[in-house]
Amino acid sequence: MNTRPLMLLRLTTAATQEIGLTPRGALFIFPIVGGSFEGERLRGKVLPGGGDCVTATRDGAYELDLRATLETDDGALIHLTFSGVRDDVNRYFRTLPRFETAAPAYDFLNRLLAVGIGEIRDGGPIHIIEELL
Amino acid sequence: MNTRLLMTLRANVSAPQIIGGVPHGTRRTVPLNGGDFDGPRLRGIVVPEGSADWLLQRADGVLELDLRVTLLTHDGALISMRSFGLRHGPPDVMAAIARGEKVDPATYYFRTTPRFETAHPAYSFLNRIVAVASGDRRAEGPIYTIDEVL
Repeated sequence: MNTRPLMLLRLTTAATQEIGLTPRGALFIFPIVGGSFEGERLRGKVLPGGGDCVTATRDGAYELDLRATLETDDGALIHLTFSGVRDDVNRYFRTLPRFETAAPAYDFLNRLLAVGIGEIRDGGPIHIIEELL
Repeated sequence: MNTRLLMTLRANVSAPQIIGGVPHGTRRTVPLNGGDFDGPRLRGIVVPEGSADWLLQRADGVLELDLRVTLLTHDGALISMRSFGLRHGPPDVMAAIARGEKVDPATYYFRTTPRFETAHPAYSFLNRIVAVASGDRRAEGPIYTIDEVL
């Protein structure tokens, strides 16, 4: 399948909230306090207030469930969610981002699916997000 | 993004249940009555019971698909697949699909993102991957080419 680069997303998180072992697994909340995104078609910052709900699964991987609000440099707000898998043993960190926006200039985001390649960096995780063509 | 072919999945659909206009759009539920899948690492059939596609036609012309399928491998493993997707294209192309005509899939956007769950050890790798799929909507039902995202 062909893809096209959409953005490089950087997230800054605050101290992890360890909810503990719930019936579904060990649950961790990563509060998002900021970040940035940049790509050919859009760039801007990540607003504080989102978070990633991460569940450690029985087979040693993590299921991700992130929500965040992006604000483009021209003032458009975009609701970002993604699910995904982080498997540190197999070095696999992949997400499935989805976007919702009311801004006409970014309506194309409402009509595409994407894949994110995640990497752990010192300053926080980054995601290389590509549009599925 | 690097990918590797996982399987080709063919789903056979029954007549849809037209729920109608709901707050988010127009809802219809499409039961599956069978199908099969085939790939380098797994093959088998679609189990009709418990398999359907929950569709929402949005006001902007985009169809959201929420497919849940139970797969049964040739060696008896059950796999639960869930896949969110989008389908949209030029109105005349979408109308031809609705009429059951054979339409070139390159003329519309039909993409989904499958995830899998299984308890069978031979297929446990499916639990830890994400996948992407391209759909071809035939009259009998969709054919998905599903790639593992590496």
